[in-house]
Amino acid sequence: MKKIKIFAVIGIILAVPVFIAADHIDAPGVAGTSADIADFYAFEPTEGSDNTVFIVDVQSNVLPDLTYGEFDEDVMIEINIDLDGDLVEDQVIQAIPRDGMMYFFGPFAPTSTGLNSQVAIGNALGSVEISAETAITTTTSNGVSLFAGPRQDAFYFDFVRFNEVIAPSPSDNSGFNVPGADTFDGANTLSIALEIPNSLLGTPTATNVIGLPVYKTWVTTNRKQ
Amino acid sequence: MKIYNIKFLFAALCASFLVVGCSNDDDNIGGTPPPAEVDFTGTFSQVDHMGRPGINTVLSGSADIKNMHNVTIPSMMQATFQAAFEAQLEGLHDAYAVALGFTAEDVDYQPNILGDILNGAEPTSEDNPNPVSATVLTTVLANDVLEIAPNNVTTYFTAGVGAPTFEGAIGFTGRRLQDDVIDVSLILLFGGETGARFNGEGGFPQLVTDGVSLTADNITTSFPYIGAPE
Repeated sequence: MKKIKIFAVIGIILAVPVFIAADHIDAPGVAGTSADIADFYAFEPTEGSDNTVFIVDVQSNVLPDLTYGEFDEDVMIEINIDLDGDLVEDQVIQAIPRDGMMYFFGPFAPTSTGLNSQVAIGNALGSVEISAETAITTTTSNGVSLFAGPRQDAFYFDFVRFNEVIAPSPSDNSGFNVPGADTFDGANTLSIALEIPNSLLGTPTATNVIGLPVYKTWVTTNRKQ
Repeated sequence: MKIYNIKFLFAALCASFLVVGCSNDDDNIGGTPPPAEVDFTGTFSQVDHMGRPGINTVLSGSADIKNMHNVTIPSMMQATFQAAFEAQLEGLHDAYAVALGFTAEDVDYQPNILGDILNGAEPTSEDNPNPVSATVLTTVLANDVLEIAPNNVTTYFTAGVGAPTFEGAIGFTGRRLQDDVIDVSLILLFGGETGARFNGEGGFPQLVTDGVSLTADNITTSFPYIGAPE
């Protein structure tokens, strides 16, 4: 019985391919493609600010042979915001590139939710030229700052050691090294960023585990069929 | 004639208000529509999902689960993935048990510091157990969304002064670029009730930090907050 469990454990370990957090290359179906989400950040830009910042990273050059360098016109990024805690999106922001520009739509209340969507052409937010090395930003008339372009990959993680740590053996069972080596130092990613007044998103009634009102948010990439 | 003029004026005023109204509506949405010739038609189908960092990466134990996770809507995630996430969490503990020369049954997930923080002033004891069991933790994490508190300082999680009082602990208010989300995740998964259960001392592996920190030039203080590419 014990042996079976050990073999089951080894089976779990062997089934885990080389992978990376935070979401970079997280699943074989999307890993390394132009639609691979690398990371997602959401934060208050300064203490007491009435704005929220959303940053979505797609693609990465942290490993060789990954798709990296240009936004794909067939891939739409969506930021989903649940206000009431039922984990269904109440507000959506979309971003999709066309001919050197990134076009943003929303926030809008979707008429249907789920895995398929269309560009909300009637809810245009604004657009920004996709940057090269120097950041080009724009601010819409309703106070939303927009950015799209290559940036440093701000994620930090010793992923090389991590892949060894999750497959320990009697000869290597010491866990992480301190200090470790940041695998992502020097890596780039393609970012979109928005800084948006909270008044445009609505007032959340959902709360987190310590009882504070929160937006429950997630990002998706969506490929044209 | 006079009445006609007044009516006309009234109609003109209404029309101008309507125009202003429309313009205001546009402003509420955001304003500048894209050029009419730009084509945005078509149906787009979801291929990747991300809420909290590292969830699918660490807790989905197989390629099939990872792929399925990316095309599952959040309201279905708990029912679909909680049991598999809990099995993976225990499996990682079992793997270390075996590697350290114990049996898999000897090492299990231990309720974490979050439970002590949620217990507040009431000390954790047999009568007041730590509420964050493996099932509770993986239930929370299975709902893979990132919470952002619009009216609070953003911190992914900080344990304050740490065990045993955890004074100043706060978290789950969003994710900043500088937040050490990997160390937080490791502490909540492997840190046990002190946050330092597997801290590399006393013959135990180091599983509560990966030993790296933010590279300073990765972030900036003004929009878009992320450093120029290298």
